[in-house]
Amino acid sequence: MMKVFKWSFIAAIFAYLYLPIAILVINSFNVSKYGYEWKGFTLNWYAKLWENEALAQAFLNSLLIATLAATAATLIGTLMALALYRYRFPLKATSSGLLFIVMMSPDIVLAITFLVIFIALGIQLGFWSLLIAHITFCLPFVVITVYAQLKGFDQYLLEAAQDLGASESRIFRLIIFPLVFPAIVAGWLLSFTLSLDDVIISSFVTGPSFEILPIRVFSMVKVGVSPEVNVLATLLLALSLLLVTFSTLLLRRKH
Amino acid sequence: MVINFRRFVIVLTVVWLGLFVLVPHVLVLLTSVMSPDPQHLAVWPLTLNSWGRLLEPLYAEVFWHSLWLSTLTTAICLLLGYPFAYIVAKLPGVWRGLLLFLMIVPFWTNSLIRTYAIKLILGNKGLVNSLLLASGLVDEPVQLLYTPFAVIFGLVYVLLPFMVLPLVSSFGKLDGTLLEAAHDLGAGFWQRFRLIIVPLTMPGIIAGSLMVFLPAMGMFYVADLLGGAKNLLLGNIIKNQFLVVRDWPFGAAFSVALIGIMAVLLWLYFLANRRINRAGGLDDESF
Amino acid sequence: MKKIPALLAAVLMAATTALHAEEKLVVYNWAEYIPESTLADFTKETGIKVEYSTYENNEVMYSKIKLQKGKGYDIVVPSSYLVSKMRQEGLLQKIDPAKLTNLKNLSPDLLDKPYDPGNEYSVPYLWGSTGIGVNAKEIDPATITSWADLWDEKWQGKLLLTDDVREVFHMALKKNGFSTNTTNPDEIKTAYEDLQKLMLNVLVFNADAPREPFLAGDVNLGMIWSGEVIMAQQENPDIQYIFPKEGAGFWVDSFAIPVGAEHVENAHKFIDYMLRPEVGQKVVEELGYSTPNMASKALLDEDTQNNPVIFPPADIVKASEFQQDVGDAMKVYDGYWEKLKTGK
Repeated sequence: MMKVFKWSFIAAIFAYLYLPIAILVINSFNVSKYGYEWKGFTLNWYAKLWENEALAQAFLNSLLIATLAATAATLIGTLMALALYRYRFPLKATSSGLLFIVMMSPDIVLAITFLVIFIALGIQLGFWSLLIAHITFCLPFVVITVYAQLKGFDQYLLEAAQDLGASESRIFRLIIFPLVFPAIVAGWLLSFTLSLDDVIISSFVTGPSFEILPIRVFSMVKVGVSPEVNVLATLLLALSLLLVTFSTLLLRRKH
Repeated sequence: MVINFRRFVIVLTVVWLGLFVLVPHVLVLLTSVMSPDPQHLAVWPLTLNSWGRLLEPLYAEVFWHSLWLSTLTTAICLLLGYPFAYIVAKLPGVWRGLLLFLMIVPFWTNSLIRTYAIKLILGNKGLVNSLLLASGLVDEPVQLLYTPFAVIFGLVYVLLPFMVLPLVSSFGKLDGTLLEAAHDLGAGFWQRFRLIIVPLTMPGIIAGSLMVFLPAMGMFYVADLLGGAKNLLLGNIIKNQFLVVRDWPFGAAFSVALIGIMAVLLWLYFLANRRINRAGGLDDESF
Repeated sequence: MKKIPALLAAVLMAATTALHAEEKLVVYNWAEYIPESTLADFTKETGIKVEYSTYENNEVMYSKIKLQKGKGYDIVVPSSYLVSKMRQEGLLQKIDPAKLTNLKNLSPDLLDKPYDPGNEYSVPYLWGSTGIGVNAKEIDPATITSWADLWDEKWQGKLLLTDDVREVFHMALKKNGFSTNTTNPDEIKTAYEDLQKLMLNVLVFNADAPREPFLAGDVNLGMIWSGEVIMAQQENPDIQYIFPKEGAGFWVDSFAIPVGAEHVENAHKFIDYMLRPEVGQKVVEELGYSTPNMASKALLDEDTQNNPVIFPPADIVKASEFQQDVGDAMKVYDGYWEKLKTGK
């Protein structure tokens, strides 16, 4: 009885999360451009996307920046969480305060301040400015997730390691890292998600040489968002599911 | 080596945050006491006029409205996310990873088209209303879209993973033997839940709530598209001041004030939390 | 010693010319607001590579150009009110009419407007209007003739307004016989008080594209842009457009060259290319917005030429007012806007 209840709860949550996605996927095959009703099956949008180089390029750029930003933010953020958890240093309180500020600052404020800083530092607007901005706004999410995980674990383990003469970097690599690994994965996933969908900050800090998908999609509103965007979503979904099935099978075999 | 690693980590933290967060926000603070100018955005002389304007009762109203929406969203996310994370965390490794991954994948689609899809669900001729009409429960479509319900529906949708992921890692650490012991000693479910599970997962609850609540305070896009933009939120006002009215000092003052108020709220919260069970997220040392 | 810097300069010169060997042009515009194939054809013909960067609204474009002091882009496409603002702030450079052989194609009705007298800084690309949209299946279009009709009590909780201060005030200002560009606080206040009465009728302020709620059947009456109606009609021909008798709001999106543009010559070539009759024709056919290009209009099929939504009768255009920057009065407008939205 409990089990049925449990699984129906899980199913309900997934239905909530996937219902809009299912609509997207269906509409990527819909003849109708706006998808308010089913007007017949077509692969036309897929063909169109194939020819739409600018959109495809923006999509690839987005994936690239999200992967890099999430990875870098996870690395830096994990180290930051460690510093805030383990070390005493001047400006420690300020540092964690600043992390909260990043989370609380409205997008538009971050966007404008980033742009001002990049212009002042002479950083060319484009790939690098975008990457730095994305890393920065992802950081607090990683730090908080990892910190929460660090918070609960056994101090004695670390003290023992220290007494046995292990260096800080060794302690990090061999003890802390494996223990907080789930949180690191969670932090990466959250960062990737945030980075993949940011519009306002990216609009301000990127240059003409590096277009990303969200800006383009929001910009399309002027002439009508094309179902090609649904196609992109469907493709990414399919790719993710393929990837996860594959890795699950692989893991299963290993066990 | 010891010093090097430690020093590296500390320097990285301080320099990165200093350069890309502190300096920009000092600029924002400075802008907030400059004079607005339609041609040059912000000019000398220094003035507190923008800060004075914050006292208008209209802005207090907007603040309460945003606070209410964010709090409600956080509460619902916790209500849905907590049991979800609990169930998922108890699954065997492979399944756990799989479900978490599946939970995040929907968010890799563009938020605009996802919001359009939500509109297709809630609209007058949408999925829900079609079902209601077909089942004969109602004769006329129920207005769901452009109501507060739609706003909450959308906000919870967008923010749920930010609650679930830290919770799952927090549950993952929960020691099963502790619960068994409590069970053997005759503790009922509620007792175990209140005295063991909740306190031990407190860091996860706090982390998740922060990551839902704080971004929700500045968000306005979901509310505008699904709620019909009939109410102003803090994010709307700040965006309007920067982009449409171009009164940058006022926009800056507004955003500094928002951050300040939230900081005080957080600080009070951490203070109280420390008194009660000494198990916070980033604790009050932070401030 | 003096020779070394000279040599260096020479090397640098060579290096920069090498860099410029590939001619390019950086366009900052809405996504797909110029057909992809048009861009490709332009590159094929001139050898100039187009870097096409996008923004989601005028305001983001303005702030970015402003902060970069007009650098970074060669072509921007601001709406009329922003042309006046950017021009006054020295963010745009003068366009040389001698380099635009196709300028003669443009309709005089859309040139020399107060937002840019003599079109020194801008060349109209596409234009349109903000009027009333109605779903003919649900509401008889003949019963709606004016902005004032939206104030009728029977539309309680039914209307769509665009989420744009100036456009919403346009309705109320026009309804009361004022200019849409007024900076007179009393007139703005009168409009505000009128809008307070309208608020009960509002179901949604649309922040993205007004055609969507019309097509979804969530609203049947409200403000809409002419181009959106054309797009909507491809899906549902019942969506119709009405020019309110007090005056629709008119806007023009124009090509302009920021003051810090690096490829000024190419920018002129591009503008001239876009003014060709067959290019303008293609743009209208693909996008559904109106072209100011009379030569392009002549190439379109009869139906399109005679479609009053795309090409409204000349008397409507002549009498129309184009949105301009209102300077500091924007604060007055926005103050009332905040009050309207918080129910005051």
